[in-house]
Amino acid sequence: MAHPLQLGFQDAASPVMEELLHFHDHALMVVFLISTLVLYIILAMISTKLTNKFILDSQEIEIIWTVLPAVILILIALPSLRILYLMDEINDPHLTIKAVGHQWYWSYEYTDYEDLGFDTYMIPTQDLAPGQFRLLEADHRMVVPVESPLRVLVTAEDVLHSWAVPRLGVKMDAVPGRLNQTAFIMFRPGIFYGQCSEICGANHSFMPIVVEAVPLEHFETWSSLMLEGA
Amino acid sequence: PNFSLRLSARWHTSFRPTGGREQGVAKVEEYTLPAYFDRRENPLPDVCYVQNLSPEQKSLKEKEIGSWAALSNEEKIALYRISFKQSFAEMNQGSSEWKSVVGGMMFLIGFTGLVVLWQRKYVYGPVPHTFDAEYKAKELQRTLDMRMNPVEGFASKWDYENKQWKK
Repeated sequence: MAHPLQLGFQDAASPVMEELLHFHDHALMVVFLISTLVLYIILAMISTKLTNKFILDSQEIEIIWTVLPAVILILIALPSLRILYLMDEINDPHLTIKAVGHQWYWSYEYTDYEDLGFDTYMIPTQDLAPGQFRLLEADHRMVVPVESPLRVLVTAEDVLHSWAVPRLGVKMDAVPGRLNQTAFIMFRPGIFYGQCSEICGANHSFMPIVVEAVPLEHFETWSSLMLEGA
Repeated sequence: PNFSLRLSARWHTSFRPTGGREQGVAKVEEYTLPAYFDRRENPLPDVCYVQNLSPEQKSLKEKEIGSWAALSNEEKIALYRISFKQSFAEMNQGSSEWKSVVGGMMFLIGFTGLVVLWQRKYVYGPVPHTFDAEYKAKELQRTLDMRMNPVEGFASKWDYENKQWKK
């Protein structure tokens, strides 16, 4: 989760997000260079004492400012497409989880081995334990094993929702009547927060997603406990 | 008959290029005629500044046809002022308008601040209890315990051995 007044991205917890962070740095650097250049030109044009401001013909600069942007665009497009295809790689997930959006809660189903399913609602502000994060905590977390390739199938029961966890670089729309697949690997154990990212009604801001990555033994313990409890 | 009017009656020193529009069917509008302007990047306006010359100016214009070395400095300046309204120095000088703009802007920002303060006092309800100082302290402790953003973000700034922020 972000700390107060944070401007940049949160640290990555999956390989794809790490790639996205580096790509963002690269694209932002290009943007800063271009903006600085344009700002400099604007200031120079405003403050000049020269009177001849209307150049009517100059072949060299026209060539430069046509070719150079094309080159810059290619330099941005190549890493971008690389990440795009990386995200859609065929992988072999160890676990498939279904995340179903409802108005206004998420439900998760782990049906690979047994039938495990549960709903998670946001913990209301007045019920928070001291130290919990307002509007981000949920009563059940989507527990997953760390360092295992995972597949999440996202769909919705009623209206559009979107399953998003910024630290994993995941945002997948939950469309009723459609299964959207996303895959990721969690680098590190921990708790990762996200929020519903598609307007879905009155409590759209109040249906968070909490993913908890734990070592495999703990995951097995947790899923047995959940099955017993249900 | 139209041709002879144009050739004989128009040849004098205050020639106004109208392209024969006076003899057209439509009314000639002021804004379609060439106008005078003072612009740094277009140094030569379409028309002279003074269109209707006084008798002294007319005689000066006659004198201009001769050798320019015979003109005195005042006469040269007078000829300049016939053709142009402002010199380059005059048209390029700045004004004090920016002071009133900045002053007005600051006043409006201050007024907006007053409106915001009034809103905070009389319109908004209380903030949630999670903004209390001790709640925030517990949140901070939990954030550090969870090692949130340990690489470059929040938890990377905390020194876990010495239990203080990294210098």
